[in-house]
Amino acid sequence: MRRPLTLYGLTFSLPLLIWQLLFFVFPLVFLVALSFWTVKNFRMQPDFDTVNWVTIYGRSVFWQAYGTTLAMAAFASALVSILAFPCAYAIAFKLSDNARRWAVFLMVIPFFTSYLVRVYSWQIFLSDAGIINVMLGWIGLGPYGLLNTVGATMIGYLTLTFPLVVLLQLFSLVFIDRTLIEAAHNLRCGRLRTVFEVIVPSARVGLVIAALFAFILCFGDFVSPIYLGGGDPTTLSILITDTTKSGQQWPRAAVIALTMIGTLLVVAFAAVRFAYKGRTK
Amino acid sequence: MKNDTLVSFEGVVKRFGDFVAVKRMDFEIGKGEFLAIMGSSGCGKTTTLRMLAGLEAPSEGVIRLSGKPINDLPTWSRDTPMVWQSLALFPFLNVVENVEFALKMRAVGKAERRRRAEQWLDRMQISEFAGRNISQLSGGQRQRVALARSLVVEPEILLLDEPLSALDAALKVRMQSVLKNLQRETGITFVYVTHSQSEAFSMADRVVIMSRGQIEQIGTPQEIYRTPRTRFVADFLGSSNVFTGTVTASDGGGVMLDTPAGPLRLTSGERLAAAPGRSATLTVLDTRTNLALTAPGGPVNAIPVRMIGEEFIGATATIYLETGTGQEIRVQKSHEELAGIPLEIGQELFAWWAHADGHLVTEE
Ligand SMILES: Nc1ncnc2c1ncn2[C@@H]1O[C@H](COP(=O)(O)OP(=O)(O)OP(=O)(O)O)[C@@H](O)[C@H]1O
Ligand SMILES: [Mg+2]
Repeated sequence: MRRPLTLYGLTFSLPLLIWQLLFFVFPLVFLVALSFWTVKNFRMQPDFDTVNWVTIYGRSVFWQAYGTTLAMAAFASALVSILAFPCAYAIAFKLSDNARRWAVFLMVIPFFTSYLVRVYSWQIFLSDAGIINVMLGWIGLGPYGLLNTVGATMIGYLTLTFPLVVLLQLFSLVFIDRTLIEAAHNLRCGRLRTVFEVIVPSARVGLVIAALFAFILCFGDFVSPIYLGGGDPTTLSILITDTTKSGQQWPRAAVIALTMIGTLLVVAFAAVRFAYKGRTK
Repeated sequence: MKNDTLVSFEGVVKRFGDFVAVKRMDFEIGKGEFLAIMGSSGCGKTTTLRMLAGLEAPSEGVIRLSGKPINDLPTWSRDTPMVWQSLALFPFLNVVENVEFALKMRAVGKAERRRRAEQWLDRMQISEFAGRNISQLSGGQRQRVALARSLVVEPEILLLDEPLSALDAALKVRMQSVLKNLQRETGITFVYVTHSQSEAFSMADRVVIMSRGQIEQIGTPQEIYRTPRTRFVADFLGSSNVFTGTVTASDGGGVMLDTPAGPLRLTSGERLAAAPGRSATLTVLDTRTNLALTAPGGPVNAIPVRMIGEEFIGATATIYLETGTGQEIRVQKSHEELAGIPLEIGQELFAWWAHADGHLVTEE
């Protein structure tokens, strides 16, 4: 059923519409246009040439970075979901109302400091002369090369996403009808089994959305792969900066950015489909 | 009777902090019995049921199931399935999966549990909805799914907490007969919590009346209706006229009471051990109370009253009257029984009943 456009309706939807145009559609259109421009003598000029798309998609380094980024973001989002769940579960079901408010507050605190600062402080822990290696040295171990590894990047990704994922999971867990849990127990479903048989299915939409947010954040992140991972392996975000630095290749960077946006759209769509699967037939 | 006991509550108390929700419960539930628990809101009915289901631990006392104490058994180790007021069906499972749930937890094989679940759907006449989502069912259909889900394991006992309260009146009556038939056919013990007197009295073998965390009376619907044991029960059921007074004489023949409505005598009953000087309460069913223009003779109590109102439901009339001291009296009769009595507001009449129809209840 389509409703006719009215002035009344427009007054409410117009600000949102303008907002969307200003901050999403215009930049996107510009990015698309940019991807067809050409660069001559380190100078960009408006054009309509598919050369950038052909060049980027023809490079194995791009596909390698694409695969790496996809795998790392997917792994991080699965890892953070698994690690965050017991935490969100405990806050939702084991704490008193008052303690739960404090826990939520504590989960918000990390957002007070810049992500960059938090990543730099991980360097202090992980570097060769860092806190962890010094402490290992006391018992005669190490030093180990902890920094500039994929593991360090993962730690950065967790730093970025963990509080958010806990909060998102928590909000889906607290709205679960407690009588469903009691009913499961009453039908001989033990405590642990109830988590998988009742709690996870009940909170499914929230859990998938939380994982999706983690994926989106990690997929586009530049800070952790460069400052903790040392830029190796190359992720798409690193590839973008490299591309812009080498000879003003903004149009090629636009191709990479558009590919990332397209990927995120597909992933987000699939995740939402999966989350609501079987809900309404 | 003792060998047939399935559940026994022995001095069971439940406290939430300082608040005593259940004061002291001592009662037994027989095998295959349909027991209804009634009482006003907040009197501890749900708490009692939840203790039996293992969802709440008693603060004191012992609950036994088939003779064995079950206080320390968690709910998933007891076989005491419950039907919630909200039904608590799993929205992420379809109808047949909901019914299979308890079988899956008992590691029954896939094919076998599908077969048994379908059998129960069939029995509850909801086979056609097997593949549907819970949200696509009507209230009555959901009710049947909830019953099937609990009964599929064929337990010895089923606990129901106001399962029909969300249904409309016509559906309620239909589901009452479904429940009663189910209970009779399966022989499963039903413990049924309800607010509704008509539900309890039409289905139950025995009724427990609770008030403020205590049992006021246990008995068959007939017993409770005819001989309410306490003033609370008489008031709660609202089917008796109640007179409180002082015992003036008590002998083998009966008891004399001095009440604001006049001296009253009663000869019936089991408990006539009321010592003179003590206060006592007499109840008489409104259907056993009669009206007359002149005070009849014989072994009856007759009180002069004035008519203040009337109400007709079908073939029955309820006449409201007032004594000289302002106490309300109700008389429930068919039209035939009232023939010849002028029924006008303000009419002076006599309300009377046979000495043998009165009952003495204990005083609180
Ligand atoms: N978890 C709890 N914590 C504190 N008090 C509780 C708790 N559960 C129940 N109560 C209290 O215990 C009393 C009995 O509650 P219960 O739910 O058993 O009443 P009920 O007879 O089922 O009432 P209703 O007919 O309204 O359902 C109430 O006063 C209630 O407030
Ligand atoms: Mg209740």
